[in-house]
Order: sequence, then structure tokens, then C-alpha cells
Amino acid sequence: MDESASKTIVWETPVGKILIRSFCSRDEIRICSFDSQFGIHPHYKSLYTRKETLEKIAGMPDANVVLALIDYQHIIGFGVLVHPEPEERWAELGAGIMIEIKAIEVCRDWRSTGVASGIVQLLVNHPRIEDMIAYMVGYSWTWDLDGALKTAQEYRTMLIRLFGQFGFQEFQTNESNICLKPENVFMARVGNAISKEVQTQFKWLRFGVSPSG
Amino acid sequence: MRYPKEVVLKEGKEAVIRPLEKQDEGLLGQFYAELPDSDRWFMRYDVLDSKVIRKWIDGIDSATVFSMIAVTEDKIVGHASLHLRGFGCTRHVGRIRVMILPQYRHIRLGTWMLLDLIQLGMDKGLEELRTDLVVGVEDPAIEAAHKLDFFERGELKNYVKDSCGDLHNMVIMTKRLHKNWGDF
Repeated sequence: MDESASKTIVWETPVGKILIRSFCSRDEIRICSFDSQFGIHPHYKSLYTRKETLEKIAGMPDANVVLALIDYQHIIGFGVLVHPEPEERWAELGAGIMIEIKAIEVCRDWRSTGVASGIVQLLVNHPRIEDMIAYMVGYSWTWDLDGALKTAQEYRTMLIRLFGQFGFQEFQTNESNICLKPENVFMARVGNAISKEVQTQFKWLRFGVSPSG
Repeated sequence: MRYPKEVVLKEGKEAVIRPLEKQDEGLLGQFYAELPDSDRWFMRYDVLDSKVIRKWIDGIDSATVFSMIAVTEDKIVGHASLHLRGFGCTRHVGRIRVMILPQYRHIRLGTWMLLDLIQLGMDKGLEELRTDLVVGVEDPAIEAAHKLDFFERGELKNYVKDSCGDLHNMVIMTKRLHKNWGDF
């Protein structure tokens, strides 16, 4: 992605200043340190425990890796926007149409500072966002309920509020992993330039059926 | 919860699920009038009595009954409800009921409505959902409930009579609503 798309915002919190930067390149990520709280906790494992995973994703087409940094180079939060793998259901809509918020995480010490909101803000601040359907899948078994001191239902509500601020809406789907638990959630933001035809195809895709039957 | 919800069913049929509203009284009456006698027989109320429908409509804002409907082409094709006690020893339990027109059965509409009731129950902080179903009459509903982790909590042998006077067992099915993922 063109580096000119990169933006930085300063997030003031009661516990200190955080820089949130979008479209971080592999080189930028490589020189940063990764907070040790992104790891394995009782009942919870971070989505990514190695920053090399973020470096790899940063090189993918259209990908937007957003970092939340303290001391300019220490990662305390991240967000990842990337196209789905070709074998995933959501890729069936056509190349480059669906894009997933694949991960968003803030380390435990920096939660409740609102920084997740800043990360989502920069994730969707993408030059092609109106040409795409951005989506997120919330699987309850990936949530740090102990760290957040929330029930799964409260955590789900928090996610809906967080993403709702940025135009995401909850949609029904019969995707089997999402249907495994009622607290799982699927949300999407349909770009303004998405045609009615593609919106209809998206509806059919959500339910795994084709108009021809 | 966000409504209305669009669902695509088997065979490409579509429906919209949304809460019951006061102006739906006439449509709800038509829905129950269209249900087969054999289904209405096993309901707890005489739904052909307009006073019963009116009571449900009046109960919309009562916080003890939450009703949602499935609509297609301006017609109600499904009605699902969650009933709360709101006090006492069973305030943690919600009772649910799903009714679907025959031509909309076996195409997942009931499952979507049941999923919505489960979600609603979780939103309300309930710990358990209960549904009572008649064995040999409501077997598809029993099967669907099993698939959504309801289990048989008890069975009342020869408890209900069909319109011919034959006795049937009634099964009490419940589903526990977990507050965290400790069930894994």
C-alpha cells in the first residue's frame, strides 16, 4: 500500500500518550518492540504473540496494520485489516471486495483507555474503504473475558458498540463457525460505492445459498 | 439487538425478523387464523380469541413478554416469544415459544427465530431458557432445540390430549445460557 495513506493520531489517556499509526510497513514494525503482555495468560492467548506475524501481513495487498505505540516504538496495541484467504467463504464475492478486520488487541495495562476506538478509526481510514465490504467476526472463545472482567454477552455488546461507531452493522449469517455460539457476532460495513448487485450477492453469500438455488 | 434482520432461507425464500409492533395486531390475528387447528390445539391460549391477541399487543412494552415476528410480503409467517417472570424463584428462567406457518417450516426460519430468542435471553441476563413440546406432534421443534443445545429436563408422561383425546407425553426442554466460555 502507498505509504502516503499512513496517518498518525495522538491518543491522550490518563495513563499516558499513545501514538496510533496506520499502514505501518514491515520495516516500521521490525524496529518496534512488542509488549510482553501479548502472550499466553490463564484462559486466554493473544491473537498474535509474535510481531513477525504483523510484519508478514503488512506486505499483503491492501493490508492495513495499525499500531498503538508508547515511547514511539513500543507496541501496546494493534489492528489488522486484510483481505480473506482465497479459500474462505467471504472471498467468493470476488477479489478485493471483502476485507476483514482480522485482529484488534490492546494489552491488558492499556485497556479502558479508549485506544481500541482509535485503532478501528485508522483501520477503516483506508483509501479503498468505500469500494469494499469491511467485516469483522467475533468468536467468543478468542475474547479475554478475565482480563476485561466482562461476561461474553457484555464483551459482545462492547464490540457491537465499538464497531457500530464506524458504520459496522450486525448481520445474520449461517457461517458454521459463527453459528457455533450465540454470543459470536458478525458485523460488516458496506462501502458507499458497493453496487446493489454486490450487496445482494453479499446477502446470499451470508447464508451460503446461490440465487439459482 | 439490531432489527429488522434479513434472513435468507432454504430454497431462496427470504424473510425479515423484527419485533412485534402495536400496528401488527390484525396481521397477527390472520397468522394464527391460518395456523392449522392441530397446531392451535396445543397452545396455552385460544389464539382465535381476539382478546388473546390484544393482550399480547398490549404486553409489548410490559418487559415480561418479548415477541418477534417473521414477515414476508407483508404477511406474518412466524411468531416467537420470550416470557419472563421478573420476580421470584424462576426469574432467571425465560420460557419461549416459536410458531411458524406450515409452508415456512423445514427451511430454517424457526431456527433463526430460536437463535434470536436465545440471544435476547442472554441480553436480558437470563440463565436458562425453557420450552415445553409435545412428543409425536412437535418432533421437528424438539430436534431443532436439540441442535441448539437444549436438553430434555423432564418428561410428563401421557400429560396432554390431542383433539381426538389421545394422550401424548410433554417434554420440558431447557438450555443453559453461559456467561463465559467456561463450557469449553
